[in-house]
This record gives sequence, C-alpha cells and structure tokens, in this order.
Amino acid sequence: MGSFLIRRLAGAFVVLALVSLMSFALIWLVPGDPAAAFLDASATPQQIATLRSALGLDLSLPQQMLGWYGRILSGDLGQSILLNRSVSAALIERLPVTLSLAALALAFAVLFGVAAGIIAAVNHNRWPDQAVMTTALLGLSVPDFWLGLVMVLVFAVSLGWLPSGGFTPFMESPGVWLRGMILPALTLGLVQVGFIARMARASMLDTLGQDYVRTADAKGLAKLDVVLRHALPNAMIPILTVIGIVSGALLGGAVIVEQVFSIPGIGRLIVGAIASRDFPVLQGGLLFLAVVYLAINLVVDILYAVVDPRVRLS
Amino acid sequence: MAKHIILGAAVAVAIALGGAPAAMAQRKGGDVVVGISQAPPSLDAQITSAQASRNITLHIFETLYARDENAKPVPELAEGVTVSADGKTYVFPIRKDVTFHNGKKLDAGDVVASLERYRKIGASPALVAAIDAVKASGEHEVTVTLKQPQSTFLDNLSSPRAPIAIYPASEAAKEAGKIEIVGTGPYKFVEYKPDSHVKLTRYDGYAPNPKGTGRDGFAGRKEAFLDTVTFRFMPEGGARTAALEAGQIQFNETVDGPTAKRLGTDNRFTIHKVMPFGLQVIKFNQAQAPANDVNFRLAVQAALDMEEIMAISYADIYQLDPSWLYPGSAFYGTAGSDKYNKADLKLAKELLGKSSYKGGKVTFIVDNLRANVDTATVVQQRLKEIGVDVDIAVSDWPTVSKIGFTPTGWTFWTHGFGIEPFEGPGSVMAPWVNGLSQQAKDPEIDRIAAAFNAELDEARRKALYVAFQKHMYDAAVAMKAGNYGVFQASTAKLKNFKPYRIPRMWGVWLEP
Repeated sequence: MGSFLIRRLAGAFVVLALVSLMSFALIWLVPGDPAAAFLDASATPQQIATLRSALGLDLSLPQQMLGWYGRILSGDLGQSILLNRSVSAALIERLPVTLSLAALALAFAVLFGVAAGIIAAVNHNRWPDQAVMTTALLGLSVPDFWLGLVMVLVFAVSLGWLPSGGFTPFMESPGVWLRGMILPALTLGLVQVGFIARMARASMLDTLGQDYVRTADAKGLAKLDVVLRHALPNAMIPILTVIGIVSGALLGGAVIVEQVFSIPGIGRLIVGAIASRDFPVLQGGLLFLAVVYLAINLVVDILYAVVDPRVRLS
Repeated sequence: MAKHIILGAAVAVAIALGGAPAAMAQRKGGDVVVGISQAPPSLDAQITSAQASRNITLHIFETLYARDENAKPVPELAEGVTVSADGKTYVFPIRKDVTFHNGKKLDAGDVVASLERYRKIGASPALVAAIDAVKASGEHEVTVTLKQPQSTFLDNLSSPRAPIAIYPASEAAKEAGKIEIVGTGPYKFVEYKPDSHVKLTRYDGYAPNPKGTGRDGFAGRKEAFLDTVTFRFMPEGGARTAALEAGQIQFNETVDGPTAKRLGTDNRFTIHKVMPFGLQVIKFNQAQAPANDVNFRLAVQAALDMEEIMAISYADIYQLDPSWLYPGSAFYGTAGSDKYNKADLKLAKELLGKSSYKGGKVTFIVDNLRANVDTATVVQQRLKEIGVDVDIAVSDWPTVSKIGFTPTGWTFWTHGFGIEPFEGPGSVMAPWVNGLSQQAKDPEIDRIAAAFNAELDEARRKALYVAFQKHMYDAAVAMKAGNYGVFQASTAKLKNFKPYRIPRMWGVWLEP
C-alpha cells in the first residue's frame, strides 16, 4: 500500500508539472489581452500599457514563466486581475459550492444509475431492460444546459416548487441550500445516470453469468439476496471506475450548470476568468482542478481494494 | 348657486381622490432582486468604468455634480459652483446636511481627498486631467484650479462612466479596491458575494438634495422606499427570464425582443424600453489600405443601408438618426445627414472606382455579441454588391479589442457607443482624437476637439461640434448606423419605475 501510494504520488507530480506548463502556455496560446479586456473601447494606449505593466504582462516569456513556477512551488497561485483577492482565496471560497453540487449530483447519478443497471440486467432482454437502456441513451444525448433550462421552466416557473437559481450556503440555512441545489444537481447528475446505468448493466450481466452466482441461486437464496450480496460487490469494480470518470465529468459539467443556475462555484469562476482573460485565475483554476482529478483517481484505486480484497495495491 | 358649490366641491374631492392613489401607494418596505448579466469587477466606483459596477455603485455613492434626466450637469453634493472670469477657478460650496453611511458628516476634506484619489488612480484620468490643484477653502467649500480653461469640466465631474464618487477621507486614502464601501447615497452596502450578488439596504439617514423636486437622472431627489435591493449576477438570459417569471427576481436588466413581446402580453409583467441606449458604430482602420483612402470610405458610407443594418441587428428597438449625440442633448443636430443612410449603390461604385481598392479581401473584426455579428453580416452582403470582398472574423471581446487597438489585421470593426453620446460632445469626439479609434491621426478632428475643450462660449462650442459631426460624414471617419435600445422587464408590482442608463431603484416601490 505504501509503495503504491508513493508511486502514484510521483506520477501525480509529473502530471501536475505538465498541467502547470500547459496552464502557463495559455498566456500565449489564448488570443486577447487582459488589459484591453479590462478597459473599454475608448481606452488610450497609455492606459493599456500601464495596466499591462502592473500585471507583469510586459515581461519576457521566460521571466513570466520563472515567476509562475516560483510562485506555485511556494504555494502561491498569484493574484486575480479582477477579483481583488488571491487566486487561492477565490478558489477556496468556491470549492465547497462546486464540491457540494458535484457530490449531490454524484449521489443522485450513482443511486439511480446503479439501480437502473441492476434492474436492466436482472430483466435482461425484457421490457424493463429496454426501457432503462432507451432512457439511458436519451439521458446521455441531452445537453446539460438545455436540460437545466427545461428543469427551471417546469419546476420553478410552471410548478413553482423550487427556486430557479441562486445559492445559499449550507451553514446559513441547510433547508434553503438543499432546495436551491436540487435542480442543478439533478441536471448535472441526470446526464451521468445513463452512463452509469449502462456500465452497471454490462457488469452485472457479466457477474450474473458466473458459476458462484448460479450456485447461490441453486441453493435457493432469495433473488434480491443473490443480486445484492453476491453479484453486486463483484460487479462494482468496473462501476467504480466509471464513477471515477463521472466525478471528473461532473466537475466539468458544473461549468455549464453553474452558469445556468447562477451558482458561484469554481466552474463559474473559470468561465469568468476566460471571458476576462484573468490569466492567474485561469491558470490556478486549471491546476487546482487537475489536483482534484488526481485525488479522485487515487481514491477510486484505493476503493478497488476495499471493495474487492483480491486486488492488491502493491 | 349652492348646487354649483356642492358640485364644485365634489369635483375637487374627486380630483383629490383621483390623484391620491399614486401618492398613497408609495410605501416603504419590500425586497427587490435585480437580475444583471455581469458581475461588477469592483465596487470601488472610481476605479472601474464597467457598466455592471455603475449599475450598483450609483445607488451607494454620489458625486459633486451629477447628470439630470437630459444628461445636463447639475449640483448633487455641491450646492452649486462659482466659476472665475478666466474659467480656471471653480469654487464649490458643499452641502452641510449630508452624512456618510458610517455616520461621518461630509466636509470639504472628504471631497478634496476623493478628487485627489481620482487624479491618482481614477479609471478615466482624462476627466480630471485639466485639474491643477484641489484645496479646501473652508470647512464646506472646495476650490479647484484648472491648468487651462476647460469647457467640459462640469460634464467631466458629473460623468457616470467611472464616477468621481465622494468617499470619506479615511477611505480615499486607501489603494484601489481596498476601500470600505461607504457613500452618501440612498442605499448602503451590505455584502458582496463574488459570482453571486451584491446586497444593499435603504439608508434612512440619507439627505436628499433639497434642490431636487423629484427623480431627475442621476441627480434630484433620490427617495428610497425599498428595504433592500439585491443585484444578482445572472449571465444566462433564459435563466434571468425564468427567475422573473418564477418571482425570484423582480427586475431583469435586459431581455431580448421576442421575450419582451411575450412578457408584454402578460399583465404580471411590465416591459420598459431604454431608448436610446447606444449607437452602433462601424469603424475604419485608416492606418492601412484600403481604408486609408477617403474615396474607399466614402464609397462604403454611400453603399450602406442603415435601416437594413439596424432592423436586422436590433429588431423592434432601434431608430435611424444621423446625430452622434442622443436626442435631448443640447448639442444634438443633424449636420452631415445628407451623407447618412444613402443606400446608393451607383454612387458607391463611382466612389469606389476613384479609390485605390482594386479587389482583394478586407477583414471585418467583430466580437461575438449577436447584434454586432449581424451588423457585420449585413455590411458584408451590401458591400459585395459594389465589389468589396469582406471577410468576417468573429472572436470574443478581449481578442477583438486587442486587434482593434492596433493598426494592422483589420479594416472594419463594429460595436456600440453607449456612454459617450450620453456624456456629451466632448466624449463623442475623444475616441477619434490622436487617431485613437481610426489608427491614423486626423488633424481636423484634433483641431476641433482642442478648440472645443478650450472654448467657453456656448454658441461657438455648438458651431465647433457641428463642424466635428460634419467632418465625420465628409471624410467618412467612421459610420454611425443608428440608435439602439434595450428592453427591460419587471414585475408589474414594481411601481413608478422609469428607465434610464442604470436601473434606478430610488423613487420606486413594491405593491404587495
């Protein structure tokens, strides 16, 4: 376990080094000038030059690169151009928002996805199977921004059951927080339900065909017991892999969903940073998301061993 | 006779009662959420010219002078002004009844510190460039000395672009973006949640300008009835509309034409037209061929059908108008209009024949705002008919503005001018001085603008502005397509709202 962790952390360090290089490359790959974006169309060349100098954009690329690596190695992601705060502070402020949204969406996607997959596998080639698979395909094909707007029109505008957007911190009012998060989490999770359901179905079908399952069945165990206690744990490894991938996709999907529902999370921060060429926030945000992805992958690998003792992390 | 008296009394009572509901309906209380499309980069009013900031900060802060309903500068925190005969010294008596949101009484020290701060770090340094010195000449009197007379000085002082907001001296001593948000306006700051909202609450210690008789532009009597106003940042237009329909916001700062039509038929909502909100400008890059040739520019100007451009780009909310200022401005006029909206392809071809353009692609840069892309597309199709091959390059604003501020890589660039025509003739001329927007100096514009700024006689100033506008057309420096407006939508319960350059939440109240 120890050597596994060391190996994985060393790999993660290499990935982060590459991501940080790519994040830095954004400065010269992305067209547009933060100074021009910050000022309006009647800004004078002197005003633009002054702002560029203040932002360090007039330095040579090697100088900027040295500054970037120097800062991130000392744990400093820099200062936002627009937000009047450090990038770390801006990210930490928004992290709980995005993580709570993604966690709710993940819980929803896993719960419904795994259940739908099991139902489909148990009823292989019968109408519940076909219904689940058709719905899953539909879910996978729906763009999340469209789904979000439909959810708002149905549940907020027509029925008036839930708010159409906005965010209340959990600590301020758990009830209001939950009401506000239901629609965005459903929107974000629903697209992933189909993905998990298809994988769960395939994995369960594979497991249900194994000898030990047939034996358990032949012993006269209850059908539910056979499926949940005997088959499901062994079917979970591929499902866990998918959940890992889905977790990453949820963070990516949050970018759009946070826009639609006006939720102040990391996705919205990054979209704003792209639009305004707030490079420090963009660079720091990407690096931060890379760390989160790597952490999720590591957790999924560790969970393999927890779920299936045959898997040895060494 | 008695009958007549009774009848007369009854009529008087009826009139009084008839007028009463409006007055009686004014009530304190209520929370309004305003959906705005962008988050403010800062609430430090002096350091940003972003409209999203202005929408909010002008509820919190006030200026020495502010613009009235017709954009004319009128006293706000100043009681008035005395200008010396040579036009270089301005003495402002400061109102004595004003208290900041932190309880401190406004005095001359606050005004001096605020003006000095703006001179150091203000977002529109040109507004205060003429100032030589600012000093307190009494506890409630400030004297400003200019380096040279400037006819637009009060215009500048009252500009809402990046407002010269008056802060307490203690805050004015702080760096950009580091201040406590403390003003003298009708609402005080409560909280700013990044990417979420800004919340304000009514300031019950607000002292309305005694000279104001009612709501008057950014000036006048700013009576706040609402308990709180929250500006929620909602970039998605569809989400803003849904939130209004669901009752979660009470005001939407902008809706598209079809949505305005739909909501307009529902008596739960009121549609407001802000007209004009901007003017659509098509710029030439005169630093390179073919737009460095006046005949090419005149050919394009002659070819364009401005009605077609505006009807497609701003369907339902546009007006054709040759003036580079808004109707209502003291300097509004139609000089040069004989060359506006000609849509004359024959004349255009003749002029093009005299130019150095002999074919080849020219680039039209445009940001991804739908109306701007539509403008570029209509121009492209129109110019094809006279043989000009236009290539449209669409990017986001930071990319386009970076290219547009350089003398290469583009021939045409279109976008709106909103605040400049509101500010007045000085601001309308400024983007063309020193070749800033057209990338090549135009000595005639530079001469007119310099003379205009130094000229104190109103009639001569008007003549100079006429010369400027005429030159814009005669030399086709750039083209104005027309005026465009903005649709706003509110709940019908929001009463007495009147559209202006920002959604003013003073003078309005909510019905239960």
